Amino acid sequence: MSKDAQQTASDDWLEQALRADAREHLSVYLPDDGFTARVVSRLPQPALPAWRRPVLALLWVVAGIAIAAALPTWFDEVFGSVAALVLHRFTLSDAAVALTLLFAATSGALVLAARAD
Amino acid sequence: MSSPAISDAQLIARVLVQDDRHAFSELVRRHQSTVRACLRKLTCGNAALADDLAQETFLLAYRNLKSFRQEAKFSTWLYRIAYNAFLADARKTKESALADDVEPESDEHYSEPAPAARAATLKIDLERAMAVLSDDERAAIVQCYHNDLSHEEAARVLGCPVGTVKTHVFRAKQKLKARLGAWAPTES
Repeated sequence: MSKDAQQTASDDWLEQALRADAREHLSVYLPDDGFTARVVSRLPQPALPAWRRPVLALLWVVAGIAIAAALPTWFDEVFGSVAALVLHRFTLSDAAVALTLLFAATSGALVLAARAD
Repeated sequence: MSSPAISDAQLIARVLVQDDRHAFSELVRRHQSTVRACLRKLTCGNAALADDLAQETFLLAYRNLKSFRQEAKFSTWLYRIAYNAFLADARKTKESALADDVEPESDEHYSEPAPAARAATLKIDLERAMAVLSDDERAAIVQCYHNDLSHEEAARVLGCPVGTVKTHVFRAKQKLKARLGAWAPTES
């Protein structure tokens, strides 16, 4: 037998073995056994339809306007109180009261600390 | 097996246009066996890993379905995604070194078994020998033989030139011959 013929014969048995293995591989059907259900359960959630985003935003705006229109006095009170606090002018008596309260709080803390020791 | 009433292309169109999950589940049902079997070959019989990778494959296919062009068969496109998932996992786990632990069988094992037993034994030895191949070589053999793809189709799946596929197949066969030398016909 020539070297080429020997090489071909040598290739043939491997080729046949590979073909046989491939035939068996192609003929085997793997049962689903819940595989498809597992894949489908892991699919990403469906995205919102394109028309829903602007509609949702519009609904929020309408709700905000409705609340603002329904509670005008509440807005007046809140803004009035904030403005009064901001525009309040501190007098000398206010400062004296604040200093007295600060001194009392510090003294009390020192006395408590001394008792703890 | 009878041909399906609705083609893959029609199911794909339904998924793309209506986000029809039922259509996608039908695609999965149709192709799960071949994709899982292909991955089992690539992972040297690791069924659990193959099924995990198959799930990843179908999830990736769902996310990237828009990029599927109908030039190739859907199954070929799935094989490509499956192969990429396998490669990514192999890089992560570095399991390819495991293959070197496989020892060839001794010659006594092959001494004149019955034909059926001989075929079964050859199959087992072939599977073991496949584990010795590099990932690229095994993938080339699986695509060209087990998935019955042409060299051109295999090249598309593996993302390399046709010549490289042929080289991988040639080298793989050389290695298989060396591993399975005892099965070669003896000269008379």
